[in-house]
Amino acid sequence: MVPIEHVLIFSAALFAIGAYGVMARRNAVLVLMAIELMLNAVAVNLVAFGTLVYPGKTSGLVFAVFVITVAAAELGLGLAIVLRVYRMRSSVNVDEVDLMRW
Amino acid sequence: MPSFDTATLPYGLLAPQWILTALIFACLTVDLIVGPRGHRAVGWVAVLGTAVAAGAQASLWGTRGTFAGVLRIDEYSALFNLIFMVGGIGVLLLSFDYAERFLGQPAEFYAFVIAGILGMGLMAQAQELLTAYIALELLSFSSYILVSYARTNLKSNEAGLKYVILGSFSSAILLYGVSLLYGAIGSTMFTDIHAALSGAGASSATVIVGLVMLTAGLGFKLAAVPFHLYSPDVYEGAPTPVTAFLSVASKAAAFALTMRLVVIGLWPVRGQLSDAFAVLAILTMTLGNVVALRQSNIKRLMAYSSIAQAGYALAAIAAFFAAGDIPTEASRGVILQLVGYMFTTLAAFGGIIAFQVANNGRERIADLAGLSRRSPFAAFALTSALFSLAGMPIFSGFVTKLFLFTPVAKANMLWMVAIAIVNSTVSLFYYLQVINQMYGKAPAGLVAINAAEAEAAAHAAHAHEAGHGDDHVGAHGAAHGAHDSGAHPEPVAPWAVRGHTDGMPTELRYPLDRLSIETRVGILVALAGMFLIGLYPSPIVDLAQGASVALFTR
Repeated sequence: MVPIEHVLIFSAALFAIGAYGVMARRNAVLVLMAIELMLNAVAVNLVAFGTLVYPGKTSGLVFAVFVITVAAAELGLGLAIVLRVYRMRSSVNVDEVDLMRW
Repeated sequence: MPSFDTATLPYGLLAPQWILTALIFACLTVDLIVGPRGHRAVGWVAVLGTAVAAGAQASLWGTRGTFAGVLRIDEYSALFNLIFMVGGIGVLLLSFDYAERFLGQPAEFYAFVIAGILGMGLMAQAQELLTAYIALELLSFSSYILVSYARTNLKSNEAGLKYVILGSFSSAILLYGVSLLYGAIGSTMFTDIHAALSGAGASSATVIVGLVMLTAGLGFKLAAVPFHLYSPDVYEGAPTPVTAFLSVASKAAAFALTMRLVVIGLWPVRGQLSDAFAVLAILTMTLGNVVALRQSNIKRLMAYSSIAQAGYALAAIAAFFAAGDIPTEASRGVILQLVGYMFTTLAAFGGIIAFQVANNGRERIADLAGLSRRSPFAAFALTSALFSLAGMPIFSGFVTKLFLFTPVAKANMLWMVAIAIVNSTVSLFYYLQVINQMYGKAPAGLVAINAAEAEAAAHAAHAHEAGHGDDHVGAHGAAHGAHDSGAHPEPVAPWAVRGHTDGMPTELRYPLDRLSIETRVGILVALAGMFLIGLYPSPIVDLAQGASVALFTR
């Protein structure tokens, strides 16, 4: 059995990498992928808690399924908007999307 | 998560929500039948359907119950659902003209507004974090789509991109907090969180980090400073009815969820929360008002004004920790403030939308010059709304602020009231500047009535357009773009004289701003609500009192 601490450190690292990616990446697609990393960290957390800490309960796993589904929808929506921006401006660099002060 | 039998769930308690769900599909189906030219029919289906849902919600007033343990139906959720539905009807009515003029396929627009109303209603009912999150995402996803709905408009695209990135970033933070709370507590029910926080659990590092991240995520949805950075851009870039929708209803939904979470779930740590909310309130109202002073875009001004108004409501949440009846009074104040703000903002955006539809989507405050002469009704709506936002008597803003700040003062936070009053005075300055533009300045681009004047008007319009070069990137509706930028400067005079309208620059197509019946009805409803609260508040105070009592019935 993997100790819960290891899983939590892994998910915290995943979350931090994602947060760094959101702030450091300039390409909107990569920013969306970084957000996906953060949401995956949440799912890892929930599965770890659901199986290791509360093995009798299913709510953590149910929560994880919802998070994965919503994350997929969010990414689809985000990519659609990125695509629209790309068609209008031929660029998905978030630094160049600056008609209004960021 | 509690166990339940799907056969015996009280489905009837959610009747308004079922109606809204059916309505989303009804709108899309009606759109298929009537085609793109019949979008007004779709809009009316949406308006009437939402009215039916509101009627169903009103008839359920006083019923209490839970749905599968995760949704809580009581007067509190009922009143908030009514707020969202009435606000949604107002937004729908105001979007008819705007959608026809600037948005390509408006049928889905109406459907997504209704999906947003449904999400907000569920946020007000949720008493479990997963349900609250799903409801919040239903609202957020609808908002992302609505914000970027003007597909060929660069500003709308930009606003949508910023909103979707920062919105998902904030919900990831919120979710990480929720997952930590779940790990520490073993449940996401608000009542279980309450029980765990009352025990030794409150001091564990996991719980504290989880709570901080949860609060940050909610702060984003409330657009509280320092989590507000997205909101001015999103409000400016979004199609104007969507801006109204976000500031009217979306923010109220975030307040509904926050108050229920604080009162039911986080009550044991309310001392610390109260400090946090006090800091957020002061930062939010001060920064919102100070930055609003420097705005030259009316939508951006309304965004900062909306941030400031949310700051006032946050101040009352900070008074929740006090003893006795003060928390009930404070939550009544917040609810009243949200209702009054809804009507006021609808009236304000009604005026702005009427102006924009007639003026190529212009949105600089300077463009409002002389609106009182071109469109007295729109100018009157916007002016009364701005007076109300500044807290003038006879408008709703005075009454709601009175009910909002009285409990704050009773909770020994007079200094907070003092800060709010100073802020309110500062806000009067920028509201009056807008009013001065509408009533004190000469209108630009008046319509010519004879050949000589038409000639002069053509030159004036040309010069006027040239001065607006910076706005053109953001001018709404690329389909109309050819007419916008003075591309046909010469033929203006003959058309204006002969009275033809086809192919004529839109600047001159509206001699006097002609408002459609839907826009008029929307503005009238908003004004009626605003003056009702301002002059005869007791019915709405009673409703808010009932909702507050239900909120504190744990």
